[in-house]
Amino acid sequence: MATRLLVVDDEEDFLRSIVMRIELRGLAVHGVASGSAALDYLRGNPDTVDVVLLDIRMPGMDGLETLRQIKACCPSVEVIVVTGHGSQEFSRIGRELGAFDYLIKPIRLDVILERIEAATRAGRKRRAD
Amino acid sequence: MTVAVIGRLRRLLGRLTGRPEPELSPAESERLTNLFRERYHSFRQLLAANGKALESMATLEHAAITGRAYGIDLVVGNATAVAVQVVQMIRHLEVLAPGRYGELAARFDELRQQLDRVLSPPPRTIDGRLVERLAEIAREDAVRVGAKMANLGEVRNRLGLRVPPGFVISAAAFIRTLEHNDLVTEIDRLVQATEIDRSDALFALSSTIQQLIARAEVPADLRSAVDAARRDVLGEIGDGVGFAVRSSALGEDTAETSFAGLYRSQLNVHPDNLLDSFLEVAASTYSPQAMVYRRLHGLRDRDTEMAVGCMAMVDAAVGGVAYTIDPQDESDRRVRVSAAVGLPKTVVDGRFDTDLYLVERRPLSVVERRIADQGTAFVLRPGEGVDRRALTPEQARRPALTDDQTIAVARTALELEAHFGGPQDVEWAIDHEGELVVLQCRPLRTARVAGRGPAIAGEPLVAGGVCVSPGIASGPVARVRSDREALKMPDGAVLAVDHPDPRWAALLDRAAAVLAEHGGIAGHLATVARELGVPAVFGLGSLDALGRGEMVTVDADGCAVHPGVHPEIEAARRAGRRDLMTGSPIGRTLRETLALISPLNLTDPDAPEFRPANVRTLHDITRFCHEQAVREMFAFGRENSFPRYAAKQLHHNVPMQWWVLDLEDGFAGEVTGRYVRLSELACEPMLALWDGMVAVPWDGPPALSGAGLASVLFEATRNPALATPFRKPYAQRNYFMVSRHFMNLQSRFGFHFSTVETLAGERDSENYLSFSLKGGAADLDRRAARARLIAEILGNLGFSVRVIEDTMTARVSASPQEVVLDHLRTVGYLLMHTRQLDMVMADPRAVEHYRSKLETDIGSLAARRPADEP
Repeated sequence: MATRLLVVDDEEDFLRSIVMRIELRGLAVHGVASGSAALDYLRGNPDTVDVVLLDIRMPGMDGLETLRQIKACCPSVEVIVVTGHGSQEFSRIGRELGAFDYLIKPIRLDVILERIEAATRAGRKRRAD
Repeated sequence: MTVAVIGRLRRLLGRLTGRPEPELSPAESERLTNLFRERYHSFRQLLAANGKALESMATLEHAAITGRAYGIDLVVGNATAVAVQVVQMIRHLEVLAPGRYGELAARFDELRQQLDRVLSPPPRTIDGRLVERLAEIAREDAVRVGAKMANLGEVRNRLGLRVPPGFVISAAAFIRTLEHNDLVTEIDRLVQATEIDRSDALFALSSTIQQLIARAEVPADLRSAVDAARRDVLGEIGDGVGFAVRSSALGEDTAETSFAGLYRSQLNVHPDNLLDSFLEVAASTYSPQAMVYRRLHGLRDRDTEMAVGCMAMVDAAVGGVAYTIDPQDESDRRVRVSAAVGLPKTVVDGRFDTDLYLVERRPLSVVERRIADQGTAFVLRPGEGVDRRALTPEQARRPALTDDQTIAVARTALELEAHFGGPQDVEWAIDHEGELVVLQCRPLRTARVAGRGPAIAGEPLVAGGVCVSPGIASGPVARVRSDREALKMPDGAVLAVDHPDPRWAALLDRAAAVLAEHGGIAGHLATVARELGVPAVFGLGSLDALGRGEMVTVDADGCAVHPGVHPEIEAARRAGRRDLMTGSPIGRTLRETLALISPLNLTDPDAPEFRPANVRTLHDITRFCHEQAVREMFAFGRENSFPRYAAKQLHHNVPMQWWVLDLEDGFAGEVTGRYVRLSELACEPMLALWDGMVAVPWDGPPALSGAGLASVLFEATRNPALATPFRKPYAQRNYFMVSRHFMNLQSRFGFHFSTVETLAGERDSENYLSFSLKGGAADLDRRAARARLIAEILGNLGFSVRVIEDTMTARVSASPQEVVLDHLRTVGYLLMHTRQLDMVMADPRAVEHYRSKLETDIGSLAARRPADEP
């Protein structure tokens, strides 16, 4: 089964491009532009997402709050946190460390794909057990 | 826990009654199988997290030792990455041993809070009045008004020298303005979203932020404070006078950092336009040059908040700059007065030829005059701004200063030197009434102040410009203007170009140094030069004085190119090179961060200190989790009396006991009974390691000198861990844990403890091999020497190695399977052949003998294939 991925990023250009590039690699992927849209999607489509790729810096509900809520509503979904070049947010990320992985931009696509694959395996295993 | 206890009781009961252990029911067997699989899954996740944590730690450590520039983002990002993985490890260990190590989470939380304090950015606030009068400030006010204006206040109020009337819009006012426009968070957000090492991104970012600041609204209280201060100045000297608006950033013009020319200044600003001018100068906090400069010096935006000085403009008849000594050669203590007709801008700009006067200190006398043909002068434009005006040939050739004036300037400069306690760089003007006015004074940056070490004597061939990448290097000059010339550039040449065009970046890894006639600190080529550590000076002006192929030495710190090579100075300077990052705010943050992350205190798993209460760093947590996870996996079969997941003894022809636990698919098929044969193993890494172990027969222990033996005996009486090496059951045997592509080995050969762990599968990026080794029987010096010898051998093979006392760790990661398997053969060989080598480590000849034997043997391993069943 292809990995089912939800990408959450407020930069629409980046979002469109990454969704397209990941789709080309054969993964089932859906993109949303905000934390609340991500939660709506997860709640509306239970058990259809393996991994969330989550940008930490977003206006509105920010990435960390989104991470907290995803972990509360869908504990079996693995979250990979992505952060900008100059992230200075340890103090906040420090309190919400439920992420499966943490990547610092800029990230090469094959690195993203590898990490997604690892998170998918981990999440599916967890659910199977 | 309960299951384990029942298992143990059952086993004990079986032994006491002499009956074989009871058969498991199919349901119980399935339950245990599932439980084991769950734990194995967590075990693998834990190992993966361990690898990632170590990688991020290595990135931080690497940054700390190389001295290359890095930003706070590198520190925070990697610290967070380590923390995220440590949390994963603690969670997975909890699955492996529910409830057993609860204290770890608490220890982690304490460390997280400490890291939080270290890494949280300081609030961007500064107390103080929004506007401060020059008449009321002095040197100690630099923390609010910047050193440049604080020094001028000192000059005016404590030395009683003439300084134009004026005031400072303080750093507090700058932050107040940013806050008023919600720009503090917005700027942080923009900076964080930008890849600042790419120059196109940097320029775009800089332009966006500068526009935001230039267009910001000035808060009403600041507006009225500036109004009042401006009225005071105009009241003192009359209407119709413009202002010089200059940056006076915190941290600017100190002995350590000059920021020379990085910020904007505006001359002869109309009083009505002061606030606009303030915003424009304030915006230059984010000029590309200033942003790169901060990055190079490990400074945060918060360390260089901008105060802006506003001083009445002096209509200068003559102006210029005085250095109280020669910045290139400190032994020359003659005052150097540069002067030009009109505003001092002609001198400050550095683009024009101007007069230079050398003044002896005692008695104060002009000893040399170099009169230039000045050509043009800068003068005040009526209303606002400055104009360039052509001088008549007669004016141009006339000396700008009389000897009396020169001496007056020199005397003032020396007064300032005496007062501030060091060589000074003084900007001055003489107005049309003949009054001398001090416009600026700051510590003169000399070779010594810049921490450069010895300087090259004699006149440079070319000097000036800006150092865009520090260092010193020599080589033949290669003048490159076209791709054809680029192709001909010899390796190790000093690349000399007109414009720092990005297309020359490709040449930099072959260049000893780079020179450019034009350009500045923030361009792409400058960025690349810094990244590669290639010394570079840009904006030098004409490089025609450099002959093609001529051997030259580029002193980038001193912005000069000298003829010939000066190896002793190059070596001394490299040795004494001041690392810009180390003492910087970001460098300090990195050091404090590493102190909470990197040191390993839990080194001996058998020591009573090896427990969560003694965890002091995140590295300790990773080490503890890893060790306990391995133990829990081994303990599973035993504690649950489940033979399928209990270790089996290996049948083989190598002395010592070997036990193998199959995690998943490490055996070729079902293996019943207590023994497993090598031929029944499917674990490729173990077979490769074994192959290395048996490839070369062991010569036996090295021949001991009397002293070597005495040391062993003494150490054994002193060190209880050595006196009873086989006391603990876990320490008695050598344990393999295997699956098809994974292997973990814990081995104890007498006094020598080692761990080999590897994943060698199809995904290169996940593959790794880590080998650690500790102990020995000789004293610590010799054990450490053995550790270093092995580290050196493995380092040459591409492992990243670290040695702390007698503990050596070596790691390769993200390598193809075949490469990892080859490395495993080497490690297997070393495991067998470095036993007891510590004994001979005091004898240099023996060390050399063994080094060459080890390296020869390792070379011969490469061609081998995995061994067949012995």
